[in-house]
Amino acid sequence: MQDQPTDQNQPAVQPGAQPVPQPPGVTTETTPNGGVVQSKQIGKYKVEVIRDKCIGAASCAAIAPEVFELDEENIAVVISQDGNDDDTKLLAAQSCPTAAIIVTDTQTGQQVWPVA
Amino acid sequence: MDTSTSTPNVVSTAAPTPTPDQPIVPQPARPLPPKRVTVKLADKHIFNEKFIQFNFELDEPHRMPFLAGQYVSIQVAENGDRRSYSICSSPSLDHRFDVLVDISPQGAGSKFLENLEFGKSVDTLGPMGAFTIAQASDETEIVLVATGSGISPMRSIILDQLHEKKDTRKLTLYWGMRYVEELFWQDEFAELSDAFPNFSFHPVISRASDGWTLCRGRVTDCISVHQDHDPKTGYYLCGNQPMIHDVLGYLEGKAIDKKYLHHEKFY
Repeated sequence: MQDQPTDQNQPAVQPGAQPVPQPPGVTTETTPNGGVVQSKQIGKYKVEVIRDKCIGAASCAAIAPEVFELDEENIAVVISQDGNDDDTKLLAAQSCPTAAIIVTDTQTGQQVWPVA
Repeated sequence: MDTSTSTPNVVSTAAPTPTPDQPIVPQPARPLPPKRVTVKLADKHIFNEKFIQFNFELDEPHRMPFLAGQYVSIQVAENGDRRSYSICSSPSLDHRFDVLVDISPQGAGSKFLENLEFGKSVDTLGPMGAFTIAQASDETEIVLVATGSGISPMRSIILDQLHEKKDTRKLTLYWGMRYVEELFWQDEFAELSDAFPNFSFHPVISRASDGWTLCRGRVTDCISVHQDHDPKTGYYLCGNQPMIHDVLGYLEGKAIDKKYLHHEKFY
């Protein structure tokens, strides 16, 4: 969530103004005091690499290169939680030959992968 | 049917135009993300109790260009579990791919594939992997070292280098197996060595009977006898971790530069 600086004396949206198209995933809300809150919906899945289980096969980095990369020890590390979408992050985890990637749904707190 | 021109799964990153005082530096190829494809089991060859080759036909899309040495990730369970397998077929056939599987571990992947019915759709991701012959390097000779089903990407590489790339550099394969009875593809490799004078093949049997006259013991034993170590030879290793560890240690002892050593973690 990111607050946008606004002119306190001006309403956020002028009466009769045409709605401004938003980038995908971005929503804009007007607060009761006339401010504008712009938020971006990122994925709900959080990924984590169990370092001791990683063998550096790099399938995660091949499938979701904006989320995973190999470090100097050829072990996968998470470089971003929102570089690729949830489906891609889950596929990357499911492709790990040693199940070294844990996927958690941040909205429910449930572990999505590996399944029990 | 997709009739688009086949392109490999890499993008050559364009180098900036050099100024007169700047040397031209080759840019590394940037792999494209794998694509989701649906495949169907078209055929399988049961070589022995341990090794089976599964041939898959692309269903949607109809083509999957790949580089020799790359692998695919196959969904092997309803819950989404996947396993990765190196492709053993030639990239010249991009409407299909074959994988070689050691079914002896009887894990989720081998059980799934053993019981897979012909014609059933299988969710696959591919191609992936950078275990490919370095195209822009100064490697003067290529040595492939495999154990067990680690031979899978090697076959794809051999077929590609000899038949498609017309590579005339010396190409040598060392393939370690426990027993002679486990070998397969040896006739094909023998025919290739007859047809291409630059290709030679050394099967290495660790538990050979007295009648076995070729290499025995570990692959490093055979390499130490048969391989000259030109400092610019490219070594490509695929197999179990102890073998990779042994061979890397041996080659580092021969002062082979690490840039000429390539290995795959799984196969």
